[in-house]
Amino acid sequence: MSRVEFMQGNAACAEGALAAGCRFFGGYPITPSTEIAEAMARRLPKAGGVFISMEDELASIAAVIGAAWTGVRAMTATSGPGFSLMMENIGYAAMTETPCVIVNVQRGGPSTGQPTRAAQGDMLQCRFGSHGDYSIIALTPNSVQETFDLTAKAFDLADRFRVPTFLMTDEIVGHMRERVTIPDAVDITRSSPLAEGSLPFEAGDDGIPGFAPFGSGRAVHVTGLTHDERGYPDTTDPAAHDRLVRRLVAKVESARRAIADYEVTNPDAGTVFVTYGPPSRTVEQVMRDYPDDAVGHLRLRVVWPFPEFALHEFPNAETYIVPELNMGQVVREVERHVDQPVVPLGKIGGELHTPAELVRALEAHR
Amino acid sequence: MKLVIDESRCKGCNLCVLVCPYGIFREGTELNSRGIVSPVLDRPERCTNCRLQALYGRMLCGICHMICPDQAISWVEEKPFEPHRVEVEF
Amino acid sequence: MIAPDWLREDRLPHIYCTGCGNGTVINCTLAAVEEMGWKRDETVFVSGIGCSSRAPGYILTDSLHTTHGRALAFATGVKMARPEFNVVVFTGDGDLAAIGGNHFIHACRRNVDMTVVCMNNHIYGMTGGQGSPTTPPGAISTTTPYGMSEPAFDLAELAVAAGANYVARWTSYHVKELTKAITAGMRTPGFAFIEARTQCPTNYGRHNKLRTVPAMIEHIRSHAMLIEKRDRLVREGRPVPEDIFTIGELVRRNRPAMGVRR
Repeated sequence: MSRVEFMQGNAACAEGALAAGCRFFGGYPITPSTEIAEAMARRLPKAGGVFISMEDELASIAAVIGAAWTGVRAMTATSGPGFSLMMENIGYAAMTETPCVIVNVQRGGPSTGQPTRAAQGDMLQCRFGSHGDYSIIALTPNSVQETFDLTAKAFDLADRFRVPTFLMTDEIVGHMRERVTIPDAVDITRSSPLAEGSLPFEAGDDGIPGFAPFGSGRAVHVTGLTHDERGYPDTTDPAAHDRLVRRLVAKVESARRAIADYEVTNPDAGTVFVTYGPPSRTVEQVMRDYPDDAVGHLRLRVVWPFPEFALHEFPNAETYIVPELNMGQVVREVERHVDQPVVPLGKIGGELHTPAELVRALEAHR
Repeated sequence: MKLVIDESRCKGCNLCVLVCPYGIFREGTELNSRGIVSPVLDRPERCTNCRLQALYGRMLCGICHMICPDQAISWVEEKPFEPHRVEVEF
Repeated sequence: MIAPDWLREDRLPHIYCTGCGNGTVINCTLAAVEEMGWKRDETVFVSGIGCSSRAPGYILTDSLHTTHGRALAFATGVKMARPEFNVVVFTGDGDLAAIGGNHFIHACRRNVDMTVVCMNNHIYGMTGGQGSPTTPPGAISTTTPYGMSEPAFDLAELAVAAGANYVARWTSYHVKELTKAITAGMRTPGFAFIEARTQCPTNYGRHNKLRTVPAMIEHIRSHAMLIEKRDRLVREGRPVPEDIFTIGELVRRNRPAMGVRR
């Protein structure tokens, strides 16, 4: 028996994490993500988990990575400024292939910006924010229900691919209250264990090594330095670095189709909206006003790795319109992959596009 | 027990020369194959640990072993004395 | 005695320079681990960045070599998630006092049950000898070519003030005492901080007329004064030399601790 509740996105995020078996939360208060930490502080100790309020976001993500290496599911939640602070250790998590979940309830930036307003300005930062080459997974919910579902899914993806996984929500979804159905249990997929006789960072064809958390008797050395399959630093051999970093990127990018999660509406349309997160809700409103099949909609629940093949599910597409709450970030990715004209429709300031704004763009580019 | 310096680890810092109360280590003079001048042993049988560790069942002194930054100093079991024939040709 | 089966023999010799005190501190820590009888699959070594932080890479157990300054935050995550683990953190003066200063005081305040061994060589060694927050006033380094003009941190006193349950300071010359202090720290529930003053002949000694290993060791030894002796001098109203540092056990107490094995 599932239960139905009326709650805000941030609360649903905490519920999703708990349902997925998250038992460690390290965080630092920051608007508009604080409710996630508050909910975890209330719920985790009763669920046999650990909530710890760290001294800053650098420490939060560090504690999460440390906890993740003991084999528990661990997460943190933050917003723009804290997300910027986390960047170095996010690169560390990517380099050491640590499964962990980072929630970013996006707000207006740069700097302190608009703490209580929504934005999607961290989409490129989450993909490219740490130095060096790596790849990550980023999920973008557009409703409270999806926040629950995708939070739970983020843990599975993090475990399966041994990669830091991001839930890139925003102030609108985080603070919006909606009906949400919470199932009694969600399916959980954990990392495959490190096979007997395998080296700790020795990967098979899928590029993902088995996971031997601390205490499993394998004496794993985890380092952010370029390392070989044993986990030992090997910082000067160009081939070793090439092999490692190409694998880190390929294990995610080559699984794009398996990771992809998107919705296609009206595939025969000539004008196609490409959205992720809450701008999709305005598009859905506009589409209700355009009952014919002239307007298509591609809604991404997974933005990174970018599912470029999804753009080609619209064979008659003549124009792609990309409304986002930034000055044009994911639109660059769309431009890279299609030959048709792509219209960026960035909006900053903290409010969603109004249906009228989208209709104007639609009329102008039809 | 016999005191040994692992030449594959020793970097020739001579801290053992500084700390050994019995003066068993002497600064070496010859480069080894790794280009390092390792200390040499001077009558190592004077080392208390060599002689008495088995009797007391624990490490005695052991300062050289503890301070050696390169984990190069240790004790190995000696083969027990075996009498053997020596033929002397005149 | 150092537990030889706790060394990753395939990685030795380690990267430390000739005469570096860090190797000695590894010995003392492993001797303490041997004394405690810890099991390999219940022990985790954590470190940040720097010369000191390479140490876990030579120890045969689960080890986490993390980012600069954050070792204590990572270790807090490990210990809080799995209190049954024995957590030891190797850190250096730059790692702990400069970039990781905030994590240091908060780890002391939380009193998370772990043992932190700080190899304080008064310098950023890995990057070639720049002045750190513990470089003594007047000392020459590559970034303090006219002598260090800032006052130095007293890390052990800082740990006491911030609330650690066990704090001691020794040097890499006092191997037996250092081993005993680390063992005592491991036994004490809560945050144990052991500062080991180590010699860095390559990057500190070279610029400060302490070029040889014996000269550096002698410098450290002659500037170390037992806390009891310092206190006696103060009691008797006799002058305490300016340039000494105290060695010994600064505090052993029983503040409420977090992450203690249940």
